Amino acid sequence: MFSLSADQRRWLFERAEHGAPREVCGVLGGYWSGNDATVTTLISVSNTAAEPRIRYELEPQAQLRAIESIEEQRELIGFYHSHPCGPAEPSETDKRLATWPDVVYVIVSLEPTQTVTAWDWDGHEFSKRNVSII
Amino acid sequence: MDVTVDVVGEDTHELTVDAETTYADLVRETGWSPQEVTVLVDGTPVPEDQRVTVDHVTILRLIKGGSQRA
Repeated sequence: MFSLSADQRRWLFERAEHGAPREVCGVLGGYWSGNDATVTTLISVSNTAAEPRIRYELEPQAQLRAIESIEEQRELIGFYHSHPCGPAEPSETDKRLATWPDVVYVIVSLEPTQTVTAWDWDGHEFSKRNVSII
Repeated sequence: MDVTVDVVGEDTHELTVDAETTYADLVRETGWSPQEVTVLVDGTPVPEDQRVTVDHVTILRLIKGGSQRA
């Protein structure tokens, strides 16, 4: 299970809408309970990809600062990025470029409807997590 | 020279390098490709073709992807 509050989900949609048509991205912190993840912290990070309308890349120094900030009091949960035009699932590009197993990849899709999905990366494939709004 | 290499979110590696070793070489020693990571010294990215001159390095796996093929 991947859990976040209604306010946090709204924050993700607002970030995605504000950044559209470019993809936005960031880091998620919180706590793990077994395999269940609960978000407490969301940190936006600049997208430094050369083609931000179709690609995202977290700015490395900001990514590191965000992770270190989160790990002072919480745990790294994972990373989010937006798909302004959908889909709400990992693309072939997401699969090809994923590098962090054991964290949650969150996709914030704005089309055809606003959707937040969460995915586990095992090094080869993404598998979907249930999302709970708490 | 002995170098401590922290891979953020993974293990710490203790490696021995010579005067010709580059940061890209260090990355490969940890099992990653230079295209998948960035190398930082004191929080600042360094060119991967630069020779290693410090005893502590951080390797950060890049988080990237996208909704479509470029």
